[in-house]
Amino acid sequence: MTGQGLQLLKLMYLKLAWRNLWRNPKRSLITISAIVFAVFAAILMQSLNRGSHEIMVDNMVRFHTGYVQLQDYRYDEEASLDNAFLLDEALLREIREAHPRIGTLIPRIETFMLAGNDHATRGALVLGIEPEQEHAFNGLKDLLIEGRFFEQGEQMAVISEGLARRLQLRTGDTILLLGQGRFGMSANALYEISGIVQHPLRDLNNQMVYLPLAEAQFLLSAEEHVTALLIEMDADRHKDAVAAALNSRLSEADLIAYTWPEMIPELLQLLEFDLAGAYFLGAVLYLVIGFGFFGTILTMTLERMREFGMLLSVGMKRGRLALVVFWETLMLSIIGVLSGIGVSWLLLLYLHYNPIQLTGDVAEAIIEMGWEAVLPVSFAADQFYMQGVIVFGIAMVVFLFPLIKIFRLNILDASRT
Amino acid sequence: MSIVKTSSLSKIYNPDTVPVHALKDVSVSFEKGEFTTIVGPSGSGKTTLLNMLGGLDKPTSGTVEVDGNNITGMKDSALIDFRLQNIGFVFQHYNLIPVFTALENVSFIMLLRNRSKAEMDERAKALLEAVGLGDRFDARPKQLSGGQQQRVAVARALASGPKFILADEPTANLDSASAMNLLDIMEKMNREQNITFIFSTHDQRVIDRARRVVTMVDGAIHSDERVGEAVNG
Repeated sequence: MTGQGLQLLKLMYLKLAWRNLWRNPKRSLITISAIVFAVFAAILMQSLNRGSHEIMVDNMVRFHTGYVQLQDYRYDEEASLDNAFLLDEALLREIREAHPRIGTLIPRIETFMLAGNDHATRGALVLGIEPEQEHAFNGLKDLLIEGRFFEQGEQMAVISEGLARRLQLRTGDTILLLGQGRFGMSANALYEISGIVQHPLRDLNNQMVYLPLAEAQFLLSAEEHVTALLIEMDADRHKDAVAAALNSRLSEADLIAYTWPEMIPELLQLLEFDLAGAYFLGAVLYLVIGFGFFGTILTMTLERMREFGMLLSVGMKRGRLALVVFWETLMLSIIGVLSGIGVSWLLLLYLHYNPIQLTGDVAEAIIEMGWEAVLPVSFAADQFYMQGVIVFGIAMVVFLFPLIKIFRLNILDASRT
Repeated sequence: MSIVKTSSLSKIYNPDTVPVHALKDVSVSFEKGEFTTIVGPSGSGKTTLLNMLGGLDKPTSGTVEVDGNNITGMKDSALIDFRLQNIGFVFQHYNLIPVFTALENVSFIMLLRNRSKAEMDERAKALLEAVGLGDRFDARPKQLSGGQQQRVAVARALASGPKFILADEPTANLDSASAMNLLDIMEKMNREQNITFIFSTHDQRVIDRARRVVTMVDGAIHSDERVGEAVNG
């Protein structure tokens, strides 16, 4: 067949399929509406679930683990200052060259100490940080509810609101830190509290003490050492590639890079478990819609058996006839999916700018965790295109019926229908 | 030379349960340019014979040759191609594609034969004009009367340039005027363009126009009368 002839034939098949779709406009519109509804409901359910998940993950990543974290390979087994690593310029250069997606490097030294005032002590997580880099990464300074953040080089501390409340400390008071530094060195010091932060993660809010990095290293006898180096990047999806690149480049330096799901797998499992409910509801929805879709294609096929027989009689091959019906099935799906995605996207956009306000106990609990009492929505791309993939899958299963009918069609039987 | 012929053609339906002998040892041939009707009472086997000639059904025994090609052993896909290139069909119920216009219904067959757009348009229009529908190119089947639809079906049957046309009860659903008009057109094409028509019919109007009448009774040929000569036989 010549190129022009084939092109014309394809166009004619598309034209035939499109017009067949509108032979019974009401039926096609009902089927399309059902698909639109399924896509819309599935996206909305997932988006609301994922919206809250994204906030949880974002907080965990920004305040706790980072997307990728570099540690001494022994630190995971024994989270001790003895397993801190030397962070010098040569290593920093090496890290920056490992992968183009590597952004800001956020060094931290972390240990548990006793924090006290003049009459009580509490366990505290002491974190030595570089405040500007930390703020650029997680907006830490925005969490201040009292005082100011220390500058690098100042001998001051910022503590979390929960700890301050428990120890009855305020800005300007002095906090005592008691503990052990690297290799069993004694580590005790008094710091003036320059500010108090309200931490979004409840656990951290009850125990955080922030110190300037150099001051913490000095206190813990770990000059130029850090326990973790957080790697910033522009998108979560690059974390695996960045970690792999670092691990390959630094394999001989006794260092290991972990992604956040590797460091907090329990959170990932919790989120996946939570999403399973939405997936299950989506599956039920699609099952129901699938039967509706099948009903339409079944009717569209059975009512045209005589026509199919005629087309085979006059010389149209079975494969080409199947192709026309395939186009019809595909067109129904595409119209339904695109409309469903369009409607969902518009609603999500509206909810993004006009979020649903939560009230009552739920709202209070969320506010207490440092978040806004609203239902956040997610715009994750995969929740949109996955609906297309699912409906396409359903369409392929539904298409099996006309396919089998066409290839088994007896022309004479068809002419008697 | 015959354009289509059968040799000892038999067809038995339900051979294992209640055998029905639809065709019994039928040997008949049709020459180019003939205007033939196959007549007979219901159940006499005329439609079965027509289906065999068109390769729409397989015989239990015997052969069908079209222009020297034995089509009885052909595979489904090859047979579909063969029909497209050699045989035109006109059905009792018109069987047009309802979502296509008259012009598209005719063009579609040529497209299946890979004709160029220019040739396709020109020929489809010429055929529709030849059947008196030069002003209804863009009409869809439901906008046409039964007689007009059947004329589109004739144009479609001719579109691929077949060796002969099989018409199964083409006038059965038409009123008298439409039937006469359709027969006039087909007869004219037969006379002027030497197109071979083979009808199966009960309709006396068709039988009166035919120049050869094959009568079937109980699956066998009862008589084969020539009432005129094939056009350029």
